[in-house]
Amino acid sequence: MYVGQALRRREDVRFLAGDGKFVDDIAVPAGAALAFLRSPHAHARIRGIDTRRARAIPGVLIIVTAADWAAAGLGKLVCVHPMPFGDGRPMNEALRPAIASGKVRHVGDVVAAVVAENRYIALDAADAIAVDYEPLPAVADTAAALAADAPLLHEELGTNLVNDNRRGDAEAARAAFAQAAHVTELTLVSNRVAGSPLEPRSYVAEYMKDGDSVTLWATTQVPHMLRRWICKYALKIPETKLRVIAPDVGGGFGQKVNFTVEVATVVWLARALRRTVKWTATRSESLLSDTQARDHVTQARMAFDKDGKILAMEVDTIACLGAYLSNFAPSIPGNSYPQTITGLYLTPALDFRVRCVYTNTVPIDAYRGSGRPEATFVNERLLENGAREMGIDPVEIRRRNLIPAARFPYRALGGRTYDSGDPPALLEKLVALADYAALRREQARLRARGVLMGIGIAAFLDKSGTGPSAQLATKGGLHGGYESATIRVHSDGKVTVYSGSHSHGQGHDITFAQIAADRLGLPVEDIAIIEGDTSQVPYGNGTWGSRSASVGGTAIYRASERIVEKARRIAAHALECEAAAVSYDDGYFSAPASNRRLSFADVADLAYHGAQIPVGDGVEPGLECTIFYDPPDLNDPEAMHLAVVIVDPRTGQFALKAYYTVDDCGTVINPMIVEGQVHGGLAQGIGQAMMEHVVYDRESGQLLSGTFMDYAMPRAADMPPLASAYHCTPAPSNPLGVKGGSETGAIGPPAAIGNAVVDALWHLGVRHVELPITPYSVWRALAAARKAAA
Amino acid sequence: MMVRISLTVNGRPVTAEVEPRWPLVEFLRDHLRLTGTHVGCDTSQCGACTVHVDGVAMRSCTLFAVQADGAQVTTIEGVARDGKLHPLQAAFQEHHALQCGFCTPGMIMSALDMIRREPALSEAIIRHNLEGNICRCTGYYNIVKAIAAAEKATRALAENPSA
Repeated sequence: MYVGQALRRREDVRFLAGDGKFVDDIAVPAGAALAFLRSPHAHARIRGIDTRRARAIPGVLIIVTAADWAAAGLGKLVCVHPMPFGDGRPMNEALRPAIASGKVRHVGDVVAAVVAENRYIALDAADAIAVDYEPLPAVADTAAALAADAPLLHEELGTNLVNDNRRGDAEAARAAFAQAAHVTELTLVSNRVAGSPLEPRSYVAEYMKDGDSVTLWATTQVPHMLRRWICKYALKIPETKLRVIAPDVGGGFGQKVNFTVEVATVVWLARALRRTVKWTATRSESLLSDTQARDHVTQARMAFDKDGKILAMEVDTIACLGAYLSNFAPSIPGNSYPQTITGLYLTPALDFRVRCVYTNTVPIDAYRGSGRPEATFVNERLLENGAREMGIDPVEIRRRNLIPAARFPYRALGGRTYDSGDPPALLEKLVALADYAALRREQARLRARGVLMGIGIAAFLDKSGTGPSAQLATKGGLHGGYESATIRVHSDGKVTVYSGSHSHGQGHDITFAQIAADRLGLPVEDIAIIEGDTSQVPYGNGTWGSRSASVGGTAIYRASERIVEKARRIAAHALECEAAAVSYDDGYFSAPASNRRLSFADVADLAYHGAQIPVGDGVEPGLECTIFYDPPDLNDPEAMHLAVVIVDPRTGQFALKAYYTVDDCGTVINPMIVEGQVHGGLAQGIGQAMMEHVVYDRESGQLLSGTFMDYAMPRAADMPPLASAYHCTPAPSNPLGVKGGSETGAIGPPAAIGNAVVDALWHLGVRHVELPITPYSVWRALAAARKAAA
Repeated sequence: MMVRISLTVNGRPVTAEVEPRWPLVEFLRDHLRLTGTHVGCDTSQCGACTVHVDGVAMRSCTLFAVQADGAQVTTIEGVARDGKLHPLQAAFQEHHALQCGFCTPGMIMSALDMIRREPALSEAIIRHNLEGNICRCTGYYNIVKAIAAAEKATRALAENPSA
């Protein structure tokens, strides 16, 4: 069995030697360079655009604006996961234009595109375009978006509201609150973050005269979807005219799923000029244009009985979606957020409301965690404060409220039925791993010396493997939840697996090879994996929402089974016995009660030679199988985190001293890969918790965190000592039993670290600390507590 | 205006006409086609573009190509010898110290320089010395492990390159 082994990755050698092939590495002989002119205003009317001076610059090939886009009859970017109002009315949809028309609505909105002989000329020409702007008042503050006097981004909608959705039962929640022994309340802000994969986005569109088609190398997690979106919605060309290749991609984290604003223009202009056109974002452009994430403002309450059992939860959230709707944006506050809002607790009543809004900011979309970090922060901060106010130990209150294993599948009031899990076992594992009792003793010992240590826990669930397709379509979704796999056995018995997923750091190559090798009964060395090319791989939905192992992996698993079954029939014919009687072990097909056997390679040879195929049984020559696997359900990874902090109450400085994680991601295919995913998620979660913050000036809507000098991310010295453990309740909906294993790290830290800081400072009157938790926000919380006490 | 520069890149003499405004990384990537050196941020923050100039780790995104005139430049492509990974590169694979691979060349170049500069490594010293390199995938845990694991072999190889 290869599944379960920490096999090393085969792609590492090329990356380590500098031989990786990222989009920007692709040589473009006779290529032209594209540059975008972007809005310097958060909100302005475009009174006119004068490109005459720019066009006169030698080497400029073409300049386009929204007028050219419209004249060419091209479409807007698509929102594939809409979320109607709760009463069924369609959402107020304002799609992202490839080039802003009439108005610009965020700093960085594209106003024009220039293609020139090289990048320097293109940039100079973009600078030479004169745009006459009439600046308008902007709203960049989520909480202010629905104010009566808020500037409207899309006047035709008459409001900045996208939609308004409720979950749960308001009446039941009200009744529960009325009976509560204790109620706790908080205002919570989930800070806006920028996913910032280290590789900036890049597109190379090579025009192929033969066939009048374009080969697009793209930094994307979803090559087929991207092809479909560009062809069907934006450029209105046949999909056969575009081949999308996602080569090595330098991190995605969800952000490289989205139908980005630049890509269709790159393809369009390559076709228009019949030349290769290339665009690579600078980091500043990335921060002005890549979709961002989170950005919720929430008012929430939790009601408890006298024993600290949760009676009800009330949540009222304003979720910012930016200036336009990106692909999946409405589904994040609309689905992932409510489905995980009550987390791992038995919450008998819920009154949940979320309103999505437009503001003059970069569009929001999926980023590792997507909705779950926001939900976990609300749920866990409320429970923590409730525990403290009622004098109940934070571990004890969780023991009283966790969903017992016997209650799974568990129907949560946010709308999701959790498939499986054992939260109490996870908690006990965490408590033992961190030696919680010893930590409390240490805390008391330090407290006696005046050192403030805090311990914070977060218990939560992820939501992975989105599907099935029919369910995604119930609210107008325009994409599937299935995944494809083709297994091609070559005539020498070696195997190539083509997967519709895409790896951009997650190590699909060895993971998928482990799955296929086990099912095919072959050495893992015999299995090659190919992804990321619409000309080679059947239509796939790509990688997002931790779906690759459970959906993509299952497609490979199923296709492998079919290959073995066909090979068995071919072997049976050659061995002159019934297929059902042929056994297959260790790579050999054997006839019963005889010493006759055929290797897998022998059978592959027969399959392609074609002369010894049992044609009468409907067996065709060849040994190849394509599967489109649609999962019957999602899966629910669960995790718990414990953070230990030391806080200096004079300055607000605090240090993350230790971190503990316990994950239940079902069956682990490759523990090395999964551990790496936990580590990486954690860095992003700790980033959101402690430093990452996209900041817009509230008045002007100017982006203040526009470079990596201003947008802080964890560096090596910021990461705490870490201990991790795993617990496995296999997912019931897939034969591997795998659940998503890559997002929990990004979900827990804001809650765990927030709870730890509050634990350290509770006796000083601190009840909450705002994200990101910086020395300044801690200091502010302390100052407010002192003021309230005085 | 083009300026002629002569330098050594990965042990190979190179003479070229460059524009004064070209960053060294652009010269390496676009003109010498050494694309292992990456650009992640343009502002010297992420370290993906780290190369060695006269044996010292430097950011090739904020150094002009003309400034490298006469210098010995080593890029990630010059680290493995005769198709065999350097012990530090091998340790990165063994310890799963890379995921997407984009920051990796810069990490290797910084770590080699760290081992050269620091008389002895500890976890704290490694973490401190990586402050100029951002990795968005690994959380750094396995990078720290890999560098620690390869310290001895890296020093041995530096003392006796032909071994």
